[in-house]
Amino acid sequence: MSSPSICEVGSRLIQEYTTKTPQKLKLIDAYLGYIMVTGIIQFIYCCLVGTFPFNSFLSGFISTVASFVLGVCLRIQVNPANNIVFKDISVERAFADFIFAHGVLHLVVLNFIG
Amino acid sequence: MMRNLLLLVALATVATCRPRTLVILENVLTKETHSSFLADLGEKDTDVTYKYATDSSLTIKKYGERLYDSIIVLAPSVAAFGNALTPADFLDFVDAGGNLLMTASNKVGEPIREIAAEVGVEIDEAGTSVIDHMNYDVTDEGDHDLIVADDFTKTKVIVGDSPAPILFKGVGMAADSDNPLVIDILKASQTAYSHSPDQDILEYPLAIGSSLLLVAGMQARNNARVVVLGSHDMISDAFYNAKTQTVRGATKEAGNRAFASAVTDWALKRNGDLRFGAVKHNKVGEEPSDVAYRITDDAEYSITIEEMQSGKWVPFQAKDVQMEFVRIDPFVRAFLVPDAAGVFKATFKVPDVYGVFQFKVNYDRTGYTHLYSTTQVSVRPFRHTEYERFIPSAYPYYASAFSMMGGLIVFSFIFLYHQDKPKTE
Repeated sequence: MSSPSICEVGSRLIQEYTTKTPQKLKLIDAYLGYIMVTGIIQFIYCCLVGTFPFNSFLSGFISTVASFVLGVCLRIQVNPANNIVFKDISVERAFADFIFAHGVLHLVVLNFIG
Repeated sequence: MMRNLLLLVALATVATCRPRTLVILENVLTKETHSSFLADLGEKDTDVTYKYATDSSLTIKKYGERLYDSIIVLAPSVAAFGNALTPADFLDFVDAGGNLLMTASNKVGEPIREIAAEVGVEIDEAGTSVIDHMNYDVTDEGDHDLIVADDFTKTKVIVGDSPAPILFKGVGMAADSDNPLVIDILKASQTAYSHSPDQDILEYPLAIGSSLLLVAGMQARNNARVVVLGSHDMISDAFYNAKTQTVRGATKEAGNRAFASAVTDWALKRNGDLRFGAVKHNKVGEEPSDVAYRITDDAEYSITIEEMQSGKWVPFQAKDVQMEFVRIDPFVRAFLVPDAAGVFKATFKVPDVYGVFQFKVNYDRTGYTHLYSTTQVSVRPFRHTEYERFIPSAYPYYASAFSMMGGLIVFSFIFLYHQDKPKTE
């Protein structure tokens, strides 16, 4: 039996994703996609214009990266498929952690952005 | 009552404390032949003591301190000083800050030669003279060693504004070429040389032309001054009253008296002594304080400099005094502009570097004492609230940070109020 080609793997991934993923997770994925786009745009802007207020660039970029990371953490904890690992953590608890971490993140970002 | 009287006496002695000068004469005749020089010296504001060179009570140092501020030695051919004074004692005196003015002649003795050699001036041997076959005076007796000299140094503080040519008859000197402190006060003309008039010239002379010095000066690093006049006769009454006339030139009044007075003033530190007074520095628009400066501040600095002219302190006027703002290397170097009262000011921008800096004024000019003033200050970096804000080129970053927050709020609403669609079969 021949191993599947990359096109077959890709189309199978898309098909499984659209059918089997719960709505909540797709929501989070859309949010993560938005964060990634803003991060990429910022990075390209910095490459073009230069790093003059470096602290502002770092602050904005880290804001996107950290938001992405926190979003991924929320997705992992909320995914029903991971219930075995996160037995003690309810969806509400995961969301509360998410919001608390974001509070700290934005405080630091606003301080550092100058 | 007694205490008040004592206090008054003490104050009186301090107030009338004039510089003390010792004049060492060769013999009784010197007082006659050099009466005008000594009279001029008496006019200068100094306490003069006269002693003979071989006097057994000749002392220049007592209890470890020098007894005089200046010594004038008019004893060129002395073989040994009285009271076992050696050249080393005279050099100790210079090391302690005392000034020295010496004359030499064709019969110069070893002590004078040794003292001069130690300060970087080599006097030619006894028996030699400065001979100039093109610039000798018409009253010369045949050896062409009575010469007219006018190659003075450009430093006005030593020789005055435009010194007249002088008559010279004596021994020549050569400056040590490695010594940066020796000043050529009067050089011989291009056609002069130093040799014994009676002997054939078989060797190269000590110096020829303008390397041959007739009057040499030296200001030591402790600002003590030493002047060596190659001719004892040039400050004698006979030469003061003479007229100079070279074979080809016009008759002029000899400038010996004015020259001797100017050089003596310089040697005694009555001319060309500098001192600084108040040093003030502050941020522009504020009073001087101990608070540290901040980077990119505007700062102003002022220093008061006074110069001694003919024995009186007057405000110093010069266009080339500089101030450096140094942290190991100078970051700023600015010219100080004087006003009429001798207050030198400069305004500059503190560099974009923080650390411990020094305001340095280091003024070293020929003929003037070395002025060195240093004041240490701290320069701090920006405080957290002093940085630039709302920089236009950073607007995209501000926008992204706020959009993250906006996105978070929108996402939270949707996430919390989301309800899974009921599964339909």
